[in-house]
Amino acid sequence: MRLDLVVHVCGVIVRVFGAVFLAPLAVSLVFHEYRDATGFGVAGVVSALLGHLMRHAGGDAAQDAIESLRRVEGFAVVSLSWLLIAHLAGIPYVWAGLGPIDALFESMSGLTTTGATVLRDFAQFGRGIFFWRALTHWLGGMGVIALFVAVLPRLAIGGRELFFAEASGPSGEKVSPQIRRTASLLWRLYAGLTAMQTCALWLAGFSFYDAVCHSMATLAAGGFSPHPLSVAGYQNPAAEWIIIVFMFIAGASFTLQYRALARGNARILGADDELKAYAGVIVVATVLLAVALAGWHWSESVVRTALFHVLSIITTTGFASVDFQLWNDQAKMILLALMFIGGCAGSAGGGPKVVRHVLLARYTLQELRRALHPRAVLPVKLGGRVVPESVLQGVIVFFLFYLLTYAVGVIAIVALGADMVTGLSAMAAALGNVGPGFNQVGPMGHYGDMHPVSRVVLTAAMWIGRLEVLPVLVLLRPEIWRASRWGNDSRSPGGR
Amino acid sequence: MRIVIVGGGQVGSALARTLSADHEVFVIDHQPAIADVFATMDVEFITGSGTSEDVLAQADTATADVFVAATGLDEVNIVACAIANRMGNPETICLVSRADFLDASGNMAGLDQFGIDRVLWPEAQLAADIERIVTAPGAIDAEVFEGGIVRLLEYRLAAGSKLLACPLRELHLPRGSLIVAVKRAGRIFVPRGETQLAIGDKVIVMGTREAMVDVEAFVHPGSAGGRQQVTIIGGGDVGVQLAERLDASPLVDVRIVERDPARGAMLAARLTNTLVLNGDGTDLEFLESEDVGRSDVLVSVIDNDERNLLASLLARQLGVPKVITRVGRPSNLRLFERVGIDVALSARGAAVTSILHQITGGTASLLAVLEEGEARVLEITVAPTFAPRDLKDMGTAEDAIVAVILRGGHAVVPRGDDRIEPGDRIIVFSTRAAADRVYAFFSGTGA
Repeated sequence: MRLDLVVHVCGVIVRVFGAVFLAPLAVSLVFHEYRDATGFGVAGVVSALLGHLMRHAGGDAAQDAIESLRRVEGFAVVSLSWLLIAHLAGIPYVWAGLGPIDALFESMSGLTTTGATVLRDFAQFGRGIFFWRALTHWLGGMGVIALFVAVLPRLAIGGRELFFAEASGPSGEKVSPQIRRTASLLWRLYAGLTAMQTCALWLAGFSFYDAVCHSMATLAAGGFSPHPLSVAGYQNPAAEWIIIVFMFIAGASFTLQYRALARGNARILGADDELKAYAGVIVVATVLLAVALAGWHWSESVVRTALFHVLSIITTTGFASVDFQLWNDQAKMILLALMFIGGCAGSAGGGPKVVRHVLLARYTLQELRRALHPRAVLPVKLGGRVVPESVLQGVIVFFLFYLLTYAVGVIAIVALGADMVTGLSAMAAALGNVGPGFNQVGPMGHYGDMHPVSRVVLTAAMWIGRLEVLPVLVLLRPEIWRASRWGNDSRSPGGR
Repeated sequence: MRIVIVGGGQVGSALARTLSADHEVFVIDHQPAIADVFATMDVEFITGSGTSEDVLAQADTATADVFVAATGLDEVNIVACAIANRMGNPETICLVSRADFLDASGNMAGLDQFGIDRVLWPEAQLAADIERIVTAPGAIDAEVFEGGIVRLLEYRLAAGSKLLACPLRELHLPRGSLIVAVKRAGRIFVPRGETQLAIGDKVIVMGTREAMVDVEAFVHPGSAGGRQQVTIIGGGDVGVQLAERLDASPLVDVRIVERDPARGAMLAARLTNTLVLNGDGTDLEFLESEDVGRSDVLVSVIDNDERNLLASLLARQLGVPKVITRVGRPSNLRLFERVGIDVALSARGAAVTSILHQITGGTASLLAVLEEGEARVLEITVAPTFAPRDLKDMGTAEDAIVAVILRGGHAVVPRGDDRIEPGDRIIVFSTRAAADRVYAFFSGTGA
């Protein structure tokens, strides 16, 4: 791996990220919160300076080599720049009074669209901070790096590996052969949907500020709410229905939605195996949850509550319209299971993704058939196309690493003093980027009372979960850190 | 008629042989060695490229009535047709071997801009023929006419068949169906009321769609309900076509055996419900391990007669009740049926029938050729000069029978007191020898 190139590209990304702080700065100024505004200003300046230094540390050679970014370097750039950005995005929280571990937790939780919070007292923080929490969600939902690939001409070609390293799901899908145009089109769709939801929520009675914050948190499948009681604090059924619709959209593939929209053909949606499975799981889980909550005595509010929470958990958003900590164990078990499903590939949702479950299920079935017909040719298909063996192996490896990370995390958290339900649910919620868990970390609770090391573990889990395990874990291989010499390969035209 | 055939391969030679008796036939092929095949035929052989205007001019393409492009290369066929169309105005028939030139419903896609009047895909035609036979339980041949309202089924009678019980008159076949022919000891004849069927006879039944459902239940009871197990040996062009046709059917479970792993992977990618097995259809151990003997139908469509025969005979040994086999060399057709294969078919034969059908058009058209060309099904529009009369007054022939009268979109299977009038369209079954006589009779040029 060419370390200086990685440093250079991270620098490019971090420097641009400095400009992002202008938005919360403006909001803070509008609400006359000058202390927070200073925090955003400082964070912006630090980002720009650090980015500038890193760019130069990479040296001139890196300037030309950016187009030859290799796969593993793409992984490293994405993992490391996410980590750096999370630190920088935590600066305003430190300024507002949080400790460094809490600040990093909160900012990682925001960027990875987890929505787990360590804030005990919401009244202590200004509106600028809450806007910043929602904005980090929004940037992380479609992908910070996808955004920069879309806007930075320098990343137009090298951005390919970055885009796929950051995008979710087992195989890269594009809406245009050009990666830059793909990123730009998807971001426009995402922004358009956010604007639509903002208007809808505003019309449903939210203040404009609340509407913006909730929309950004919904479409990113994040889950931060400016209200300490989350969506439950508004008691607004119309708004809950609106959020239900947009959570569903946020958990479905944006690539697919763009295609259906661009061709004006809704049948594209109906033909998609993953979307069908996603909708099927939602329906089944909603029925089960409604039964677990109210038997067969269904009313509008039961259906709405069940659907809201099924979507909130499966899309890994993490909103709560009631305190589900008070539910029975049957209902909670359904939610815990949903945390391990996640949204669709190419969506804002986290978790292992529906398509990986579909592939795994089909692979298992084919292996069962193989027992009956040892000589049969049994490819796994998705949408009528054969899925390559390498992708299937990737899926299996993903699940192995995902569960391994989960197990290690749970053991660590429980060893550090949390009760078992808290440990199991907190790790699932962090790794899957869901947000709230059960017991101590329930939807009305917070992560602030957990052991400091547990909080660090959970922060790492969010990072690993958002980048889908492999790009982060690959950094643990020592040979990656052996800086390779600038060889012929970096200059030659086909040297990727 | 003046007919130009480009390509002297299997289809070309078979066509030339059949057509040379009544028509002026030119055959063009660039391989001089092929000329030997045509030396014994009454045709003109021209050595040269079918896409060369000079060569086509030698064959008088400008004045030809029909132009058939039957080389092995689709693109050559298309170009040859385009040139022929520019030189004169023949009816152009283009053979293809890929799906690219046909749309989903089997019609040509965009080839009319090259002046092509008809596209023919022999392998697909064969697959369609096999599909009809596979989906008719017990039958060894099956055809549909008039968009499906008339069907023909052929059975070979085995011991215990209900048809053997008594003479035809007392059998009481479903109304709307008719036994049009019996083949016994190599001779085809139209049965009469007192005919008693025997084991080993082949019988051909025609009738309306509704009646034929009852016929199937009568002749082959126990076939209703339950999915048919179909095993296809060989995943070549015909095998894929057939598997694709059967793939979506709820009535059959299909398995296809292919020897080449890469080809097998391609098949598995294209087919959804079909089980693709990687193995050799002539390997007895493999066939036993996959329980091929329990299939209801086995179709062997390998591109090699010897291996096809072996696979089919193995399947027969394992107890498959119905075996359908593709035959490449026409001289092998009879042999295959003699050694116990129920149905032997060739892609070449299907294409030739189709082209003959096209060429012999006019007021009579050839709907089907059965029993290696020994019998035909004709559709005839009765001439205005034809004196209307009852069927029973026409006398009975041993070699032809009016099977169906088509009136106002309906099919009527006639009885003795039904009347045939000028302007009727009728479907007639006849032996080859009687076909011309039948045509002359109804079109008013004969007695």
